[in-house]
Amino acid sequence: MEEKYFEITLENIKKFVNSLIENNNYEIIAPKKTGEDTFYEKINSFDEANLDILLPKLSFKENLLPKTESLFSYSLSGAGIVIDNPLENEEREAKKKIIFGARPCDAAAGPIMEKVFNWDYKDEFFNIKFKNLHIISIACGKPDNYCFCTEMQLSPESSYGSDILLKKSGNGYYVTVVTEKGMDIINPFLDMFKDMFKEISKEKIPPAGKWKASYDIKKTHSFLDNNFEHQYFQEKFLSCIGCGICTFTCPTCHCFDIQDEGTLKGGRRIRNWDSCQFGIFTLHTSGHNPRVTQGDRYRQRLMHKFKIYNEKFNKYLCVGCGRCSRNCPEDINLKEITKELASL
Amino acid sequence: MENIYLPKLAVIKEIIQETPDTKTVRITINNNECIDFLPGQFGEFSFIGEGESTFGFSSSPLRKEFLEFSFRTSGRATSGMNGLNPGDMIGFRGPYGNYFDTAKMKGKNLVFIGGGIGMAPVKSILEYCIDERSNYGKITVLYGARTVSDLMYKGVMEEWKKALDTNVVITVDPSGETKDWTGRVGFVPTVLEQLPLKGDNAVAVVCGPLIMIKFVLKSLDKMGFDKENIITTLENRMKCGLGKCGRCNVGSVYVCKDGPVFTAKELEALPNDF
Repeated sequence: MEEKYFEITLENIKKFVNSLIENNNYEIIAPKKTGEDTFYEKINSFDEANLDILLPKLSFKENLLPKTESLFSYSLSGAGIVIDNPLENEEREAKKKIIFGARPCDAAAGPIMEKVFNWDYKDEFFNIKFKNLHIISIACGKPDNYCFCTEMQLSPESSYGSDILLKKSGNGYYVTVVTEKGMDIINPFLDMFKDMFKEISKEKIPPAGKWKASYDIKKTHSFLDNNFEHQYFQEKFLSCIGCGICTFTCPTCHCFDIQDEGTLKGGRRIRNWDSCQFGIFTLHTSGHNPRVTQGDRYRQRLMHKFKIYNEKFNKYLCVGCGRCSRNCPEDINLKEITKELASL
Repeated sequence: MENIYLPKLAVIKEIIQETPDTKTVRITINNNECIDFLPGQFGEFSFIGEGESTFGFSSSPLRKEFLEFSFRTSGRATSGMNGLNPGDMIGFRGPYGNYFDTAKMKGKNLVFIGGGIGMAPVKSILEYCIDERSNYGKITVLYGARTVSDLMYKGVMEEWKKALDTNVVITVDPSGETKDWTGRVGFVPTVLEQLPLKGDNAVAVVCGPLIMIKFVLKSLDKMGFDKENIITTLENRMKCGLGKCGRCNVGSVYVCKDGPVFTAKELEALPNDF
């Protein structure tokens, strides 16, 4: 759809979010301070949202791909095996969610991941959640040293993956409605509260900042194209302890494991987040492992994100949020690495 | 709304104890039916409650009375499967992946080379070709295992030998022979080079341990086989089989979707990540 532009005051955005919560048509999730850190969590009023941080500790990936998800349940009895497909229920009972105050990097992860879940076989577990997830993001003010969304062909004010994008104005926000899903959210408010959203022209919205990529990610890609055996990977990742935190905190890492859990009477088949950083990830029954060293495994992570995914789906599997680096116990910095590879 | 992870229930018709730790299981799906598949494809088989494993089909798809796979008991799911009996149910998803290009094999002399449990997918394409024997030239089968007791498919080898113009050579690794062993003794690549085979107008199918494949490819190259006419399968660890779970890729290739069947020429173009 053609984008629409509005202005809204701080007072009205509070009213808007609180009404969304009261109307209960959507579950509202926003950055919320929990203990020391801020996470995307359900809020019960606008004031619970902590919008003044750079980035929540984790992305909202779990709303698209839960850490653990039932693929089906089964019961075993004298009569045999009965399998119960949860999909129909899931579709019927799916709750519409709004992520309010999403970061543009996190917003971009959804449509990027969507590709692998639909390129051939359709993964409806993902699709139901993706369809019901609505993203109201807020443009970032100042990226930190770990951030590289601009290098990842996005920016702190990218609307890719957002249904509505907010940008701070003098006493409120500029509103860009990007999709029909976004329009569906604000339409009732346009009818009910005449002055809440004031329509403006696109030109009235100033850019949130000047963004320029400090290196060309396509050069990283072309290095990876030609240097699978390069010594860089083996040396650079000697310090990697293979904990997998980079993959678990990544908004786009989606690799999963499938396991059964239950008793002799019944149980379920589940998929769990998995990580290419674990040796068992690719271990063959014979004992052979294609990726023996941590260097092999981190190389796979780089290959998948900056080469393979792009070749398959024309998207890089990275939004440049920098969480992998911020959370790495060994200070392995993906921004530095991609920059270094671009110059090798 | 289709749940792509939902298995169909299959009934076990017959279980063959091939070696002390491997079995072949014959199943039917949907009231005594088979499913359509092609040699080289694979399925996800599960002992419901213990988990899924990936196995290639080992039967000819032209034989519709059952669908067959072989497995070695090694992990949780296969240990569960090992305890099953005829009449029990197992879960099945598939068929997945690509298949052997039989059009390319028509009219050619065929060499089937298998090592250990890697013989399973070879058996499927071999029996498929035997079922349509007139479409192909001379058939040579070379099957090797570590020891005599590790040889699978002893029950059906006689049938292969009886097929028209078919030479079946069975070998065991040195010191794997028994006193009454009448077959060959030697590693598969060594025995292969002793066979009177020519690469012209021939296609070779090779499956087995990676180390065997590596040396067999060298031998076939020496014997004049074109890399495009050497076909093998990659047996990467898989979970979904649907190109999503992310563990089977080699370079940009998802083995579960773009494979598992590759020519030696295609393998050559892949990074050393398998």
